[in-house]
Amino acid sequence: MVEPLSPNGRHLLQTVLRHEKTEQVPWVPFAGVHAGKLKGYSGREILTNGDKLFESLLMVNEVYQPDGQPVVFDLQVEAEILGCQLLWAEAAPPSVASHPLAQNLTIPDHLPQPDEGRLPMILDVMRRMKKAVGEKTALFGLVTGPFTLASHLRGTDIFLDSVDHPDFLTDLLAYTQQVALRIADYYIEAGMDVIAIVDPLVSQISPRHFKRFMSEPFSTVFDYLRKKEVFSSFFVCGDATKNIEVMCQTNPDSIFIDENIDMVAAKQITDRYNITLGGNIPLTTRMLLGTQQDNMAYVIDLLDKLDHHNLVIAPGCDMPYDVPMENVIGVMRAVRETEHTRQILKTYQSVEVDLEVTLPDYASLKRPLVEVFTIDSDTCAACSYMYNAAKRAAQELNDSIDVVEYKITRPENVARVKKLGIAHLPCILINGELKFSSIIPSTRELLEEIAKVSHE
Amino acid sequence: MEAILQAIYDGIIDGNKDQVTAKVQEALDSGLPPEIILNQGMVAAMTEVGRLFEEGEYFVPEMLVAARAMQAGLALLKPKLVQADVKAAGKVVAGTVKGDLHDIGKNLVCMMLEGASFEIIDLGSDVSPEQFVEAVQAHKADIVAMSALLTTTMPNMKVTIDALKAAGIRDKVKVMVGGAPVTPEFAREIGADGTAPDASQAVTLAKSLIGI
Repeated sequence: MVEPLSPNGRHLLQTVLRHEKTEQVPWVPFAGVHAGKLKGYSGREILTNGDKLFESLLMVNEVYQPDGQPVVFDLQVEAEILGCQLLWAEAAPPSVASHPLAQNLTIPDHLPQPDEGRLPMILDVMRRMKKAVGEKTALFGLVTGPFTLASHLRGTDIFLDSVDHPDFLTDLLAYTQQVALRIADYYIEAGMDVIAIVDPLVSQISPRHFKRFMSEPFSTVFDYLRKKEVFSSFFVCGDATKNIEVMCQTNPDSIFIDENIDMVAAKQITDRYNITLGGNIPLTTRMLLGTQQDNMAYVIDLLDKLDHHNLVIAPGCDMPYDVPMENVIGVMRAVRETEHTRQILKTYQSVEVDLEVTLPDYASLKRPLVEVFTIDSDTCAACSYMYNAAKRAAQELNDSIDVVEYKITRPENVARVKKLGIAHLPCILINGELKFSSIIPSTRELLEEIAKVSHE
Repeated sequence: MEAILQAIYDGIIDGNKDQVTAKVQEALDSGLPPEIILNQGMVAAMTEVGRLFEEGEYFVPEMLVAARAMQAGLALLKPKLVQADVKAAGKVVAGTVKGDLHDIGKNLVCMMLEGASFEIIDLGSDVSPEQFVEAVQAHKADIVAMSALLTTTMPNMKVTIDALKAAGIRDKVKVMVGGAPVTPEFAREIGADGTAPDASQAVTLAKSLIGI
């Protein structure tokens, strides 16, 4: 069994959020619906079924070894309670389909209760996660930001309200700020270490607009969280470059940004305010569609160009459901073992496919051949799971199959990977065919695949 | 520029709907040709709004109020343009793809295109490939503009392009795609004719696609 490389991630992350210097940069994978993929559940299943959510989050914790992790990434939880209808999707969080205040300028007064909507399920999973991994992993409770929640209630007219009904907008934001405080209370009570106020819509307004309408509600929320002695975070998605300064002025402990914002420029600002900055691995181009090496290279580049003080490495926002597990593992390796990963990449880039590697004659094998390609099963948990799965299968079959591990720490193995056209690690090939790439197979699944080639 | 056209131009940039309506009416009453009012007053103003957006000076609220002022003026102008037989720059069928309800980006693109004197057939959000195909056929559109905010709904852009092919009309229409997760590589891969990073550059793209 591989020991986690960061023995107490929670402590590490808390130290960074206290703005103290640390040896290591913490790593927070935003696995929302993506958590479900690791256990074969849909996004919808894990956002509505506590057991499936809990199981998936434990898998995230095990495979990605996070220093911090969110319990639920769904900005529609509060809106659903407050009367918005949701359109559900299988591989994404739901979307808001109706806006109760679209034609009505009355400020609601109902504050969500802990027995409403999906809160009972969420609070229960938060408590279970706290008990299961809360000692070693900082848990994030994600609260929908006041502006985004106001837009769910009002619809796109929220943008025109700043001109047409400024007083209404101010009052609506005061209400959604109260909702945020109430939800934060519940999450704090359920054991969350960090309360993140997630407000993607902030990227769509000017700093002037932010100061006029948002500064007060956001400052109030962050002051409140500080009094409650939990860490706070301000998540924004989209190009909020111009708003970083005014966001800092609302005084959160940390800000998390996506790839639309330049980390170097943002960090110059957050450093002036002594605020921790997290981000910003591109969700689509790198995490979803890129290779493991692309992801490793991106993180190494970030670590090379940024001061490590007050820094957290994280995806730009909630990871898409279908991000290959190997890409996230690549990111984790690059954060935790930067120099080692740098070497791997160097080897990878320098090795030519025609380096002397002889592939087995797959067509005339005497016994089934299980080849496990890993980054390094001694230091990468997911790699060791993949390798152990193969070893267990061999044991079950009384060693009547051959199992080989190829670690890409050796140039000849990189050449082998390239020659076989393998894109992601760890993975398993049986008789030369890629069988398991994204998910670590159970012994049964592996035995079934081996049986198929035995019968050919 | 004539003072009255300047007032229309300024009214749009400031998002002052009342000023734009009053001045467009005044311009029409004074006998100014509608295409001059359109091109030198309104289209010029929306081009400037687009530039301000691209430069990060204007954000979504400023764009929306400007577009609303433009549309108020356009409502007065449209019958006169028809009378004078002034043709739109091109016809665009636009919508957010199936399964996706996010329409802010799509709305901004529509407004900017309208401001550049394109005729817009806005199908709204959660639009099926069949609806796109039907609208292109019914309106003889020059361009299909598809939007998606979710990585999970992006593939429906390709499904729509395939539906256009199956209906035998892919070569009769240009396809532009956009939205936060859409990249130029993705656009190429699915066989779209182009993508733009924001609503303002979408206008430049649309014009180049139909050669104006």
